[in-house]
Amino acid sequence: MKKRLSTLIMSILLVAFVLAGCKDTTKDDSKSPTDDGSSNKQKEITIGFVPMTLNNEYFITMVNGAKQKAEELGIKLDVQAADQHASAAAQLTIVENMITSGVDGICIVPSSSEGLSTALTKCKEAGIPVINLDTKIDQSILDEVDFEVPFYGTDNYAGAKFAGAYVIENFEKGIETAILTGIEGQQNAADRRNGFFDAAGSHVNVVAEQSANWEVDQGYTATQNILSANPNIGLIFASNDGMAIGALRAVEEAGKKEDISIIGFDAISEALNMVEKGDMYGTVAQYPAEMGILGVENMVNIINGEDSQEYIDTGAKLITKENVEEHKKYCEQFAE
Amino acid sequence: MKNDVLEKDGMKKIDLQSLTLYIGAVAILIIFTVVCRLAGKNFLTFGNIQNVITQSSVIAVIAIGQSVVILTGGIDLSVGSTVGFVGILGGLLIKSGMPIGVVCLLLVVTGILIGACNGALISYGKIPAFIVTLGSLQIIRGVTMVLNSGKPISGFPEGLKAIMNTKIFGMPISILYVFILYAIMMTIMTKTRLGRWIYSIGGNAKAAKLAGVKTKKIEVYSYIISGIFAAIGGILLLSRLSYADPNAGSGYELDSIAAVVIGGIAMSGGKGNIGNTLVGALILGMLKCGLQILNVPVYFQTIIIGLAIITAVFFDKAKERRAE
Repeated sequence: MKKRLSTLIMSILLVAFVLAGCKDTTKDDSKSPTDDGSSNKQKEITIGFVPMTLNNEYFITMVNGAKQKAEELGIKLDVQAADQHASAAAQLTIVENMITSGVDGICIVPSSSEGLSTALTKCKEAGIPVINLDTKIDQSILDEVDFEVPFYGTDNYAGAKFAGAYVIENFEKGIETAILTGIEGQQNAADRRNGFFDAAGSHVNVVAEQSANWEVDQGYTATQNILSANPNIGLIFASNDGMAIGALRAVEEAGKKEDISIIGFDAISEALNMVEKGDMYGTVAQYPAEMGILGVENMVNIINGEDSQEYIDTGAKLITKENVEEHKKYCEQFAE
Repeated sequence: MKNDVLEKDGMKKIDLQSLTLYIGAVAILIIFTVVCRLAGKNFLTFGNIQNVITQSSVIAVIAIGQSVVILTGGIDLSVGSTVGFVGILGGLLIKSGMPIGVVCLLLVVTGILIGACNGALISYGKIPAFIVTLGSLQIIRGVTMVLNSGKPISGFPEGLKAIMNTKIFGMPISILYVFILYAIMMTIMTKTRLGRWIYSIGGNAKAAKLAGVKTKKIEVYSYIISGIFAAIGGILLLSRLSYADPNAGSGYELDSIAAVVIGGIAMSGGKGNIGNTLVGALILGMLKCGLQILNVPVYFQTIIIGLAIITAVFFDKAKERRAE
């Protein structure tokens, strides 16, 4: 048995060496046709596109926007995301593998504002430009790596402030309000909570504030508990639509649909349907598809050495019954 | 006497298992090399092999401890949370100005303590390992959140980065860590009484007890070993990212179990070779890397990796059946 094993290991090594030897020649072979091609037409550009995850409609819309733009410009788009949850380690691995596979530029939605320093260092070393979408990379990280990265996205804080301003205009002063927040410690969770609070905090009477970790089921149970403790609540601001949908379930079960208005964030299609039906008061829309489109467009400019923009605010808007139809039409073009 | 018999029996199986495993690993390497070449991309390059090893190193290190626990017939679901905990605790300590070497030592001690608690509850408290570590998975993650109010920590000194992001003789230093740690543990498992005892507990706990092995103590040791390697894995991840994330390591318990299972260690314990766990971790790393380079959509990646785990065990069992 031992002999067989050593023979096997030897043959493995042999195969590995042969393959490793092959590499250089085949590499040259594979290179030459593209070299010939480039003299005739432009060299094919490949852009790596890394959303936070791909099990979320928001990011799927962003990717669809990017894909449409890529097709229009005739470039290749490599889309990769972490499997279950946003993870700095998984994103680093994806970026490393994209560098290996030879992408010309990377558009990334960081899993956190601060976790990308190693990945950015590697991009910088490999000379690969990066565009930051949706969630802004912390300035201290960019300074540390000494790397210039344009940012295109919305300000979550501004979006939530927008919702807050709307509440001041349309709801009576002192209305009992509950806030459902996202994952404790995440920047966008804090931004949305603070944005709403800073705008409407003095106008509304916040009687409960609880984290439901962006999840539907947790929004549901949190709202159940909040309602039993505070029966006079008139308004719920949920920092994302998932939690808002959960909150709506709880409100319906409590038979208080007429008394409580729910405002969500993200404008996912399910939430838009609910706004249309009048089940939900409103939801703050961001424009993820725009982020994808602008990311790809500007990345191509950067790669071709043309001008690109350093910062683009892609905007936010409160969608209510009045403008929901128009927004749904806009979204349709990026649905799959 | 009984131990010797168990061990010899174990050794025979190891060779059979190794064969399938190595063939599988080489097959995956060749397939990816060829398919990537056809797609005009490189897979088998020196730089990418380094990448795969560095990317797999954290899981590979955690899987050492997981292997030991699984060899005793147990399981440790708390390793992923330990990685997150060690990261945040280490981050706070480093930020407070403590020397990095001391911090690393303290973190390993933390791993020992976590392992000792798990082990004591399992062996002396007679609670199933699955339950105890499922509980500690939650407790440790919760404590991690409390520790820094769920916030990540960044902006570390260069010294921390250097632990993982240094090259020696042109190779990433992670390769060295992985090989040294595996060498140490393989020596312990094959050349010391502790190693033999661990095998004997998983093979037949009653027989081992009758043969005079202090099975409860050994069981506790196995969880301590798992805690130590989870802590080292946490330190390596903290250094690799230079960023402490309270959610870091979620799912690593499953990845480490996958590496162990692909490496051919039976979940019932007693049989298998820790060295093969490294190959298991590398297979997982190669799969992830290769599929990403080929730009396979992430949903399919998870399906393929799941299939790989089941296939690995299927071939293992088929070999076993034929041997019988």
